[in-house]
Amino acid sequence: MAPQTRKAAIVGGNRIPFARSNSAYAQASNQDMLTATLDGLVARFGLQGQQVGEVVAGAVLKHARDFNLTREAVLGSRLSAATPAYDVQQACGTGLEAAVLVANKIALGQIESGIAGGVDTTSDAPLAIHDEMRRVLIALSSARTLRQRLEALAGVRPGMFVPEAPRNAEPRTGLAMGDHQAITAREWGISREAQDELTVRSHHNLAAAYERGFFDDLVTPYLGLTRDENLRPDTSVEKLAKLEPVFGTGDPDATMTAGNSTPLSDGASAVLLASDAWAAERGLPVLAHLVDAQTAAVDHVHGGEGLLMAPAYAVPVLLARNGLTLQDFDFYEVHEAFASTVLATLKAWEDPAFCKERLGLDAPLGAIDRSRLNVNGSSLAAGHPFAATGGRIVASLAKQLHEAGPGRRGLISICAAGGQGVVAILES
Amino acid sequence: MARTVLQTAPSMPALFARAAVTARGRGGDLPDTRLARTGVRVEAAALAAYDRVCGFSLADPLPPTYPHVLAFPLQLALMSDRSFPLALPGLVHVRNRIDLLRPVRADEALDLEVWAERLARHPRGATVDLCASVSAGGAEVWRSRSTYLARGAKAPEGAPESDLSLPVGELPRPVATWRVPDSAGRRYARVSGDVNPIHLSGLTAKAFGFKRAIAHGMWVEARALGALTGRLPDAMAVDVVFRKPLLLPSTVTLATAPVVGGGWDLAVRNLQSGAEHLLGTVRPL
Repeated sequence: MAPQTRKAAIVGGNRIPFARSNSAYAQASNQDMLTATLDGLVARFGLQGQQVGEVVAGAVLKHARDFNLTREAVLGSRLSAATPAYDVQQACGTGLEAAVLVANKIALGQIESGIAGGVDTTSDAPLAIHDEMRRVLIALSSARTLRQRLEALAGVRPGMFVPEAPRNAEPRTGLAMGDHQAITAREWGISREAQDELTVRSHHNLAAAYERGFFDDLVTPYLGLTRDENLRPDTSVEKLAKLEPVFGTGDPDATMTAGNSTPLSDGASAVLLASDAWAAERGLPVLAHLVDAQTAAVDHVHGGEGLLMAPAYAVPVLLARNGLTLQDFDFYEVHEAFASTVLATLKAWEDPAFCKERLGLDAPLGAIDRSRLNVNGSSLAAGHPFAATGGRIVASLAKQLHEAGPGRRGLISICAAGGQGVVAILES
Repeated sequence: MARTVLQTAPSMPALFARAAVTARGRGGDLPDTRLARTGVRVEAAALAAYDRVCGFSLADPLPPTYPHVLAFPLQLALMSDRSFPLALPGLVHVRNRIDLLRPVRADEALDLEVWAERLARHPRGATVDLCASVSAGGAEVWRSRSTYLARGAKAPEGAPESDLSLPVGELPRPVATWRVPDSAGRRYARVSGDVNPIHLSGLTAKAFGFKRAIAHGMWVEARALGALTGRLPDAMAVDVVFRKPLLLPSTVTLATAPVVGGGWDLAVRNLQSGAEHLLGTVRPL
């Protein structure tokens, strides 16, 4: 039976304020944060003891013991224990990918409701024992004789006692994500000033959104935090200009600083999706629908493309399938991994050569109205707990579209490690 | 009634030491004393450590057992004082009742008050109730009554009978198995400050007549409630009796059963012998 498809509704969201690394949430585990975030969502939408179709979430930095992170969070939450759950992981695309997966099952009629989420901590990080030490211990556990045990132990070196911390670096290139982006920023000629200006706008927009109460029904305080810890409402281009570059520093004209790059952060987010009927039965609002989504990947290792440029490829595919142009949107949410990521992506869409040679388009996608970009702030100001960013954006954009009235359209673009991108269209 | 407000939490190792050297020659009636602290703040790192040891998720509402950790130093000060009629060494926690009147947030300033009452007769000695009341913004939010048994002690003439009966429904089904390690007492001592030697090592426990170190009753209770995270009422009455001491290390089982009208019945039993360490009830308030 070919099921009829329908568009999944975004009912609302909840997140905890994002914290800077080793700060307010230093003691909180991924499971703690995800559970608290789910419980906040449950409280907001009266889901106590209720079963939802599925909870899908993930974390980028994950302890081995957290193999069933989302299901364990559900079991510790106020949702019915009969709610199934599974983990996904697509680097910084995790949160949005989770929402797409939930929306697709709703679209197919396989579930009536679902929660998509994500969580990450850079504080309670999954340190691993040194890989050579790990091999020694495995050999030791399989050793049968004293001699074999001694031989295994003879392989131990002092340096092996140093644990391995997860690195924000690409496994195949050894470059930090910021150093990758520095290459892209240079290739696209993204100036320091333009990056700092975008950063200031992110902080000011996020601060203004908090001031007007936009986040009152999107954020639940946690462990003493009521707003994103990284937010600097009074930052300015002059203040940001004082910072030294931290990425691509081999270049005398390096432009990327701790200000115009996202900080390591801790946090979690969740979005409630449903069929229109499920929401109506419970008297819950429909803020927007998830219309369509697309992923793309680039060869950042050997292919000469920038690590974070995949969304530039995903968007034209999505536009073509939906018969839309890049200008047909009321709001754009382009994840600010780095200010230069946003600027390079926008510039690529305006560039005839890139659009023709790389995207295979007859004409460039063109420029967007910058006043519609990240209107409630984005990751530069809020922080970026990797897997939590997608849920933050989906819920905020859905609410923004709902406020603007019916028939409004929003585009989400999120870049991810490994040269990947996830993009989606929401419509009120 | 004498009410003393302490500015800081008293040092518990010092109190245990004082109680030990002044154990002899105690008797008489309970002191008519109340000890209090005001504006007590929960330390985030201490709460996180407690949550990890007891199996709670780190969240803004405090675990139902956490206020006990705040009030216990005051209760210990009361019990270790010379005016307290029972000797602290060898005192065994046999029952704990907690009323959580509403969820208490970790960032609330809390006022604590503790006192002792109900010195009662028991077939094996005497029992006493150590009570605690916790308020926030002038309203009581949490209260508890911990009953301790002093083996061999004598309650005064005319004292009431101790009541340790707790009707608990059938609990045939274990839902979890816990391997409780030798270090469980030391771990809970670190996060609760309850450094009673009977919990810390086999050697120190033997000095007080136990074969091995025993787990803190409040840890067993907290661990059982932690296992029900997300499934407990917002306001509730928790009542547990501690039966056979949980000798360390041990493997035990948790049995739970939901109760009609809300709440749970609980039991923690030894895996091998089936001996009951804890029986408990949770009811919505």
